[in-house]
Amino acid sequence: MSDALTVVVLVLVAAAATAAVAQRDPARQALVLSFLGVLLAALFTVLQAPDVGLSQLAVGSALTPLLIMLSVRKVRRRGRSKEGPE
Amino acid sequence: MNGWILAATVELGGAGAAALWGVTTGPPARRVIAQNLTTSAVCPALLLLAQGYGRPSYVDLALLLALLGPVGTLVFARLLSDDLAGDSPSAWALTWAAAALGAAVVVALCVAGDPGRATVKLLVIGALLIGGNLIASRALAGGFRGVAGG
Repeated sequence: MSDALTVVVLVLVAAAATAAVAQRDPARQALVLSFLGVLLAALFTVLQAPDVGLSQLAVGSALTPLLIMLSVRKVRRRGRSKEGPE
Repeated sequence: MNGWILAATVELGGAGAAALWGVTTGPPARRVIAQNLTTSAVCPALLLLAQGYGRPSYVDLALLLALLGPVGTLVFARLLSDDLAGDSPSAWALTWAAAALGAAVVVALCVAGDPGRATVKLLVIGALLIGGNLIASRALAGGFRGVAGG
């Protein structure tokens, strides 16, 4: 009966991961990826691995989106300066 | 399966599905709001799980999420400020509903457990969760225009 919780979290993780792949814009992918990171931490907790969940939470909720968004901004700026002033 | 885990299942399933739907569809403003609500959705579920499994040390996960969730939202509020400049995203009814959910869970756990250091920790987590949620919502709605841009 306690498998219901595992199934719910697994389905949510699978749906979020599929949605993250299906997005086109990298900024929107970063948003879904941050959601996926928090969900993965919940999944690890449900599977009785809270130590893995702690590190996943630290990396997935703030660090990965920050790195992706910084890269996106840098790439956009470089593209803008190559095209010249708009 | 006891009542706490059942409550966590219902809470995580409902709020998780709603947040997933919000974060994958619609304009950027709506996606950022849904990303902010993820913290308020998962943190009470982690608290309920810690109580359901009878392991007080699992509360640390909820503490870390209450600290880092708003930080992640502030990252998006800062770096997506160009996209969000047109329509300042705000959903105060949703924000207060999420804050009420967190407060209800924390109060229920405080009543269920013995008074002591664990109660103080729960109250600190609740204050961090609600305060961080309000600050992140205000930042998304354009409340801190002085630091926007860049």
